[in-house]
Amino acid sequence: MKTYHLIWRMILYRPWLYLADALTWILIHVFPVVPGLIIREFFDMLVGQSRLGLGIWGLIALLVATATAHIANIAAGALVDIRHRFTMSGLLRRNALESMLASPVAGEAKSTGETVNILEEDAKQVEDVISWSFDMMGMTSFAIVSAVILIGVSPQLTLMVLIPMIFVVMLAQSASGRLERYRRESRKATSLVTEAMGEAFGAVQAIKVANAEDRVTAHLKVLGDRRRDAMLKDKLLSRILDSIFENASRVGTGIILLVAARYLQLGALTVGDFALFVYYLDNVTEFAAFFGNFNVHYRQAGVALARLGSLVKEPKELVENKPLYLVGELPEIRTKVPDEADRLVKLTVKGLTASYLDGEHGIEDVSFELERGTFTAVTGRIGSGKTTMVRALLGLIPRDSGEVFWNWKLVEDPRAFFVPPRSAYAPQVPHLFSDTMRNNILLGIPEGVNLQESIKTAALEEDLADLEKGIDTLIGPKGTKLSGGQQQRTAVARMLVRNAELMVFDDVSSALDIETEKQLWQALADRKDLTYLVITNRWGVIMGADKVLVMNGGRVIAQDTPDELIRTSPELRAILEESGNGGV
Amino acid sequence: MLAALIVLGIAFQLAGPQILRIFIDAAISGKPLDTLSTTAALYIAVALLCQLIGVLTTYISEKVGWTATNALREDLVGHCLKLDMAFHKEHLPGEMIERIDGDTTALSNLFTKFTVTVLANLLLIVGMAALLLREDIMVGGGVSLFAVIALLVLLRVQALAVPHWVKLRKARAEFYGMLGEQVSSVDEISANGAIPYVMNRFYAMQQQLLRLVTRASFMGYTMWMTTVMVFTAGYALVFSLGWRLWAQGRMTIGTVYLIFTYINYLNGPIEQVREQLEDLQKSSASIRRISGLLGQKNEVSDGEGPALDEGALSLEVQGLSFSYAGDLQVLEDLNLKLEPGRVLGVLGRTGSGKTTITRLLNRFYDPDYGRILIGGRDLRSIPLESLRKRITYVTQDVQLLKASVRDNLTFFDVSVPDGRLIEVLEAIGLDEWLRSLPNGFDTQLSSEGSGLSAGQSQLLALARAFLRKPGFVILDEASSRLDPVTEKLMEGAMDRLLSGRTAMIIAHRIKTLDRADDILILSHGKVLEYGQRKDLLRDPDSQYNRLLKGGMEDMLA
Repeated sequence: MKTYHLIWRMILYRPWLYLADALTWILIHVFPVVPGLIIREFFDMLVGQSRLGLGIWGLIALLVATATAHIANIAAGALVDIRHRFTMSGLLRRNALESMLASPVAGEAKSTGETVNILEEDAKQVEDVISWSFDMMGMTSFAIVSAVILIGVSPQLTLMVLIPMIFVVMLAQSASGRLERYRRESRKATSLVTEAMGEAFGAVQAIKVANAEDRVTAHLKVLGDRRRDAMLKDKLLSRILDSIFENASRVGTGIILLVAARYLQLGALTVGDFALFVYYLDNVTEFAAFFGNFNVHYRQAGVALARLGSLVKEPKELVENKPLYLVGELPEIRTKVPDEADRLVKLTVKGLTASYLDGEHGIEDVSFELERGTFTAVTGRIGSGKTTMVRALLGLIPRDSGEVFWNWKLVEDPRAFFVPPRSAYAPQVPHLFSDTMRNNILLGIPEGVNLQESIKTAALEEDLADLEKGIDTLIGPKGTKLSGGQQQRTAVARMLVRNAELMVFDDVSSALDIETEKQLWQALADRKDLTYLVITNRWGVIMGADKVLVMNGGRVIAQDTPDELIRTSPELRAILEESGNGGV
Repeated sequence: MLAALIVLGIAFQLAGPQILRIFIDAAISGKPLDTLSTTAALYIAVALLCQLIGVLTTYISEKVGWTATNALREDLVGHCLKLDMAFHKEHLPGEMIERIDGDTTALSNLFTKFTVTVLANLLLIVGMAALLLREDIMVGGGVSLFAVIALLVLLRVQALAVPHWVKLRKARAEFYGMLGEQVSSVDEISANGAIPYVMNRFYAMQQQLLRLVTRASFMGYTMWMTTVMVFTAGYALVFSLGWRLWAQGRMTIGTVYLIFTYINYLNGPIEQVREQLEDLQKSSASIRRISGLLGQKNEVSDGEGPALDEGALSLEVQGLSFSYAGDLQVLEDLNLKLEPGRVLGVLGRTGSGKTTITRLLNRFYDPDYGRILIGGRDLRSIPLESLRKRITYVTQDVQLLKASVRDNLTFFDVSVPDGRLIEVLEAIGLDEWLRSLPNGFDTQLSSEGSGLSAGQSQLLALARAFLRKPGFVILDEASSRLDPVTEKLMEGAMDRLLSGRTAMIIAHRIKTLDRADDILILSHGKVLEYGQRKDLLRDPDSQYNRLLKGGMEDMLA
């Protein structure tokens, strides 16, 4: 989709708001026509050529009255525009976020920082260009209205003034490309400096160890100098352009002087007319400058939209007509009531194949079955594809081929299917939100008796008792910092509280100490009604499982009961040997 | 130079309207066309010169500003990098960027614009007032009063807007912080069915944000509305004064136009002075933060004694106790003695204080009680530079920079010859990897080390250690991320690294400690077991033996 096409769809999202925004702002921009005319009337009145015959006080009253109307107009325009702007970028952010959560783009090539930056800055740029289009329309309207009035006064003079104006517009457009390039360069130079700075402080320990503080500082100086040079270029060119725009109006005034001299002497032009010309000229120059900038911004908005589009599968998802809930009640969160079909009897995986983008750690032709109420352990060395397998099964990464059956029924869209009440998931590295423990565990589901139970099973009770406000303690950067083990157990509680049929978790015990870990596994094993699929290299866990899948090089090389495998699988013995002697 | 340019610029700016007046009066009174044309040409010339001076002024002041602030940035970075680790633990890299680059950039505005713009514009306003006073005392007085009142009113309105912006900025930071958390936990949100919950949190934050944005932005527009009001008053002033003086014959129509132009001109300078005063407020907070940062004392002071001797170094720890920032006791009354050339293996579970010892050895922190002697000398008396030259420290956290392979190895030390780098990479088995790189040592690495496996980046960190000739080597779980093949490779390299050196190895796998001469087992910051490895092996009841047999699982349970 082209930029204008996407923007058009955004306009159609709230068409009346758009129209109101456009109308108020066109009016605001056309308004300066009025004080120009009043000023002319004043100077004409001085020389006794008054047209309105209001007298000086009448004229001042008119001036004040129109200014008041103008202020009211600005106030209305401000409110409409603020709302409209917020709606436009809000829609982009909302749709991008929902789409990223529901079906992330394969590869996940972008860092969180970059993604957030795109959501913030690029959405803002699109918002800007839509809002500025009203200024554009307004200024164009002003230019037309004032040109009509000026032509009425003196066609020749108008022409003489407009030609340099057109020249300025052309100049602006020809230079804007270069300015854009300089700006890009200076931004790049700046980000190199900040990045290097961030890295230096991120790696401060390594730098200290290497005795390299001064050398790193010197390296930053080099980057800083480059940035200064890029900045100076950027600033100089933009000042020169500004200066040309400003100058155009001065030079334009000079031209008016040159030409007007004769008309003034002939009496064909009054001092008031002259004042009117100069006054409008200032405003028209602003338009010319703005016009040049607007083109640059429009192109940048195109780039911004493309970047936003890279976050989602299809750029058109960004502009879909979805509710924003800017005012009023938020939608109710519905939890799915489990029905008979959701009850797990048997899960069958056939020939599951998936590859990571870089080709590493892919999985090939993985097949196995899970029975209700069993505990299945997935084991294998680092890089054997355990995590990839689980993620592909749950639809968190795209698969190349293979099928998954839930009670002998084919799962069409695993990502949408493998959610509570059917399944719940705790990854290897848990992510918690800056929020209360309660909200972090519940994530929106209604609080019930199983909250306490889940906390207990997850061996989180003691930790919560130690926290200042218990389960209502705020965690995250601005609250209490949880240890790695606490975070993992919170993720387990989060998974358990969902009361799902199938619990999938990934090596949750890697940051737990022995006692806590034993406690956790015991509690999990006691809940016989649940079905578990667990990635682990722990001796105790593997030996207690009903079934073990041994993975190597992306394939399941053996699957059976642990007692059987310990005899038949050298790989499992090697893994157990390693982990038995390792992992504090 | 700059000052002269500014004054000249102001003079030209003031001259423009004067020329206009002369022109109008001349035209009205029927002066010959030639005179008029000359006046018009003069006007254009003045306008052009004015712009030229403007460009020059901007360039010079920007250059001065950037040079000064770059120097400041450099000082800050140098100063902060040398601060102790307790400081860095509390201040994340993002915050440091904001405090060093963000605050300095805010300051750069002060350097480049504030003095120049504010002084120049104030001078311009004063100039206009003076020129108008020459015309008529009432007009001059009126316009001066107008300028002062206009500035005060606008500053007042601005002061009303500031708190709203502060609130908005905070809410925005929270909003995008939340978005970041959501974006980075896509898997959990999706697989635990929490998308509706996350969207609702998004909507709720949007609602709050909209309220704040509306208030803050509207305050911004109030400024514009006030400007319209103020300048309408200004026009009314010109109208009434101009009308009276013209009617009394005390003023030509050209002069009335002059006053009108000056009032119009005032818009720019007043606006700029107001903006600069706003920036000044912001800068003052930045200045406070920057001087706070520069005043930050290093808790770890440089040692003043002579440099350490060559050769393997002994280690002695006497009654060592330590806690992070007065928190929980991490180490309690620890005593150790390690002869030169011996290898100490340290075991203990997470939180037992293993890593803390290594941090103290590197003087990232100083102990609360007791002392550490290296080569028989108190750590605090050894110059930091010498200490870090002679001690090598490899951790499981590999910190890579977005820079070339060479710079990542040497940390921008250009004096290290390529031959030495190749030698080291060969020793640890990274030579094949080096040959696979498109630009050899000049290949750029990204900061997350993409293109490098976890094992490779750990080997790279090890290579950094090899580049120097330490007398004491500390390995803190340095092989934890290696796969078995790479680990074997590294074992060989380790033999070479450790030969003829004293070493302390914190182990992830108990096998790694086969080379240790002494074993230390820590529990809750205290010694659980400490002795020669061969003695512990002989003792069937030793903790070490239990660990060897039962794996680490039973440890301390």
